[in-house]
Amino acid sequence: MKNILLKTEKLRVEGNGKEILKGVNLQIKRGEIQALLGPNASGKSTLAQVILGNPKYKIKKGKIIFQGKDITKFTSEKRVKLGIALTWQSPPVIKGVKLSQLLERISFKKDFQPEEGKKLLEREVNVDFSGGEKKISELLQILSLNPKLVIFDEIDSGLDIKKIERVAKIIKKEFLGKKIKIAALFITHSGDILKFFKPKTTNVMVRGKIICKGKDYKKVLRVIKKYGYEKCKKCQLLAV
Amino acid sequence: MATKNVKNANYWQFDHKVKTIFEVKGVTILPSPQAWEKFNWTRKWFKKKPKEGYFIWIKKTVGFPLVTCITIASPKISQNLTNLLVLEKNIKAKANVLCNAAKSNLCSSHRAQGKLILKEGAFLEYNHFHKWGEKDFVEPNYEFTLEKDSKLIYNYQNLLPPKNLRLITTLHNKENSSAQVNFVINGLNSKAELRESIFLEGKNSQGILKLRLVGKKKSQIEAKSTIVAKGNQSRGHLDCRGLLVDKNSKISLIPELICQNKLAQITHEASIGKIAEEELNYLRMRGLSENEAIDLVVSGFLKS
Repeated sequence: MKNILLKTEKLRVEGNGKEILKGVNLQIKRGEIQALLGPNASGKSTLAQVILGNPKYKIKKGKIIFQGKDITKFTSEKRVKLGIALTWQSPPVIKGVKLSQLLERISFKKDFQPEEGKKLLEREVNVDFSGGEKKISELLQILSLNPKLVIFDEIDSGLDIKKIERVAKIIKKEFLGKKIKIAALFITHSGDILKFFKPKTTNVMVRGKIICKGKDYKKVLRVIKKYGYEKCKKCQLLAV
Repeated sequence: MATKNVKNANYWQFDHKVKTIFEVKGVTILPSPQAWEKFNWTRKWFKKKPKEGYFIWIKKTVGFPLVTCITIASPKISQNLTNLLVLEKNIKAKANVLCNAAKSNLCSSHRAQGKLILKEGAFLEYNHFHKWGEKDFVEPNYEFTLEKDSKLIYNYQNLLPPKNLRLITTLHNKENSSAQVNFVINGLNSKAELRESIFLEGKNSQGILKLRLVGKKKSQIEAKSTIVAKGNQSRGHLDCRGLLVDKNSKISLIPELICQNKLAQITHEASIGKIAEEELNYLRMRGLSENEAIDLVVSGFLKS
């Protein structure tokens, strides 16, 4: 049990009066890499936002445990301080605030001087950033937070293969190449980024439930490609 | 801020007393009553003999900013200033002007009648900073005359407003002159009434007026901004934006465009909004508390 970093127990969540997560059980160990696949609107990003404490969502039932502590009622900033971080799929624009100023305000590291994305530092956060620039900006911010667990929400979406390679290289170097490896959950619709990280467990979420946990991400992707998400439940190969 | 050390100010007034006058070559600096006595021509601008305030006459381009500081340091002081700044032909200058209260609870008042004359081809950057106490009353009334081919950049910033602020600003733009006017006001439990008017009187004259107003802690802010276009090919633009931070504050924006010449063009944009929840949640997921996140978004808005 000591080895378990994050655990969600039968998490049921509502947003705008509608049930989105319908009893999600997820468990991530220290230093472990997992993937979460699923069709659009299946609840993947909602799960990420709920783990980070977005007050927009109401937890109706269940718990979120981090390092053995029940954090279900913690504010977002408290969760970040404990070591959970999230890269947003579509981060908002913060007008008039330069990325360098934001990093200065949020960084847990003294004199944080990022090697990547120096060109972005003097620009206003996410103002006219391209898709790739937004991803780099997200990575820089998360890097400054010294996280133990990072949820990468669609970090590969909207990027061509070269940019995905670049993003994967940065993640490997900055987050996974250190002596103490962080745990990571890659939320992805396409699965393009998974070949760079070979997740130990690949979860499939459909309509607010994790319906499958596979050990071989290639096999899971193959099956999804062949039968689609809707037929996942019927899949004999992956049923758990 | 450039006015951190008031001891180096070119003009420093403390309550009613002139503490420092530091003249530089090509610039005459005097208390306004003395200027009235010494230079007859100033009477055209002063109208009647001033009680207090500064007179700055810039005859030579100065390579560094001129600094003035008007401070209220004693309780229940009532300043009544008449200021005159004259910039001679083709001269460039920058002025950093601070008006402030030394303490937050002095219950004082500061009234200022200011006239700024930019003669032909002159350029002035006038940075006006206000820092007041929670119980002060402040009423500045500034009038700028921009003669032919002159250029003005006027930045007014009030991050610590008084209880009551009545700010009147008027610009008269002659031929080919241009003005960029920026107002930044962070309302904190204050009542602010702003009246800005730009009269584009000359041919090809230009004026841009930008307002960034924040309503916090039960603030009431009303801004009536007017551009009147009279000159041929004159152009003006109003850009007024308000940000409401708490539900007990109120911002009223009243943009007014008056065009009296069919060859002139004036435009405006105005909006009032609240801080997007998404921005706050994003910043909180970067470890900032709700208040820290609000402060960061507000500071960004005031710079935008």
